[in-house]
Amino acid sequence: MYKSIDEINERIRDGSVRVVSAEEMPNIVDELGVTGALREVDVVTTGTFGAMCSSGAFLNFGHPEIPIRMEKMWLNNVEAYAGIASVDCFIGATQESTTRHSEYGGAHVIEDLISGKSVELHARAKGTDCYPRTSITNEFTLQELNQAIMVNPRNAYQCYNAATNMSDQAIKTYMGFLLPSHRNITYSGAGCLSPLANDPTFSVIGSGTPIFIGGANGVVVGEGTQSSPGVGFGNLMTSGNMKEMSSDYIRAATMTGYGVTMYVGIGIPIPLLNEEIVRHTAVRDEDLKTSIVDYGTPFRDRPVIREVTYAELKSGSVEIAGEEVRCSPLSSYKKAREVAAELKTRIESGSFTMALATRPIDSQKRNKPMAEKGYVYHVNEMMVATFVTITGEESVKEAAKRLLKGETNHLPVIDEENRLIGIVTTYDVSKAFAKDEQDMTVSEIMTKNVITIAPDAPVDFAARTLQQHNIGALVVIDSSRHILGMLNSYDLGDLVGGRGRR
Amino acid sequence: MKLMVEFDSDGVQYPNIAAAILRSGVMVNVERAFIDGDEGWALLDVDDKDADMFITALSGKGVSIRIQKDAVSHSLTDCVDCGLCISICQKQVFSFDENWQLVVNSERCVLCGRCATYCPQRALSIQK
Repeated sequence: MYKSIDEINERIRDGSVRVVSAEEMPNIVDELGVTGALREVDVVTTGTFGAMCSSGAFLNFGHPEIPIRMEKMWLNNVEAYAGIASVDCFIGATQESTTRHSEYGGAHVIEDLISGKSVELHARAKGTDCYPRTSITNEFTLQELNQAIMVNPRNAYQCYNAATNMSDQAIKTYMGFLLPSHRNITYSGAGCLSPLANDPTFSVIGSGTPIFIGGANGVVVGEGTQSSPGVGFGNLMTSGNMKEMSSDYIRAATMTGYGVTMYVGIGIPIPLLNEEIVRHTAVRDEDLKTSIVDYGTPFRDRPVIREVTYAELKSGSVEIAGEEVRCSPLSSYKKAREVAAELKTRIESGSFTMALATRPIDSQKRNKPMAEKGYVYHVNEMMVATFVTITGEESVKEAAKRLLKGETNHLPVIDEENRLIGIVTTYDVSKAFAKDEQDMTVSEIMTKNVITIAPDAPVDFAARTLQQHNIGALVVIDSSRHILGMLNSYDLGDLVGGRGRR
Repeated sequence: MKLMVEFDSDGVQYPNIAAAILRSGVMVNVERAFIDGDEGWALLDVDDKDADMFITALSGKGVSIRIQKDAVSHSLTDCVDCGLCISICQKQVFSFDENWQLVVNSERCVLCGRCATYCPQRALSIQK
């Protein structure tokens, strides 16, 4: 059995269309079967509401009396890209204010405009014969703009990694605050209600598909940047008229320690044209898998801790290494439902019709990482592999001798199996001498929580670690805590000095 | 219930909490505290049924006691019910109801302020 788009649109016009949300579909298909569901249901609505950093808007201000070709521009002190001719800009959601930093950014400018607030424009130009003006400062509102077109390069991910942190330090990420030693998990996405989860083969969603975006009736532009549907991480480039949007569905946000982002509500209606599409919309949270990834590893290829379904994530706790770990979303499921429900209302009232995609999206495409042309240095290339050590039972006096002999400020402490158990520095030893404690043992004065690094870590990461802990050297160890070398902050200076150039 | 106890320069000179525990025989949990030579405060958790007895035992010179209620202020207009706070808070102040709407149980709060710092919508604040 098949159904045509025209048939469905006819039903939307005469008010007889039958619309259900993607949440309801699995049970409908269980009850009526695939053919029965296709006969009974015309459109399935989906919805998602989450942090979509890759968002922004093109604005056109109109020409002032003395024309200007704006080259550099700020909106409420947030820089917008003005290199698109005279009085246009692209304001990106994650760009941060020069005065309020991560507490106000492009997303806030967009939300303020949508809420009807006035925004200050400041622009500079070099001045030409045809555009003589060199600067302008002006207030404007959304209604005064000729166009305000939201264009989001990468929205509505099919699914997304869940995040935890296996390191022993809390970290601040775009996935929110991650407690040390996997004490929490955060995830994003609406699971079975997510638009692309209901059309993973892109059989209906493509360029030109009508969508709900931020309260407006918008459109799918096409494949999103970095889209990787071949591995289940497809996304979409979307667009909509900001003048039709509402702050109910567009919210600026700040992930503390990461930066500004924008919560966007997107809903895509899926017209049920054939049985294959019906089967896809019957997806349940139990069927949707993603990976819990260790964000404590600051490299691109972060280790996967385990596979998990959206059903497990939505239950509120997931087991990692025998422990129940609390998990919470950073996208709003309540808002995702509101998006799907609002879309349903619009379709039923006849104000939102279906259309076939004008160009399909390649559902097998996979995203490629950056091929860095410059050489990336790793710790094992910069570390010093000759080093002196001491055991915990030896005296502070012996530690002083060892430091002098080794011409170093850092003395790793090892156990009988040569594993790292602590560190003493010239500062610790001087302090002990000053307090007349030179006969104490090394284990009594050593720092037990040693900041270490793996030999295959990039030196940029080593530099950040040194800076974060305000220390002068890192102990390079293997997975069994055997010492391989020392990485001193002054060794990294060689990179700048020329030894690192190839 | 949670009691916020503040000590002035007189209050910090004497082991008020220890004395009140011995006097009343009531067990309390000191959840957070900061006390130095001049002043200080302590957040105590005490069983509801013992609270009156303990407050009487603790009351005295240099000590002011307040029942800590509504510690978390939650803006319904700013909140989008994302729920990020739920797993950040180790005291389980936050949860979802059956409609995925955020529920705030302020009585469990120990005023660490982490939820307010990390709420993406800046919809939470702590009343101290």
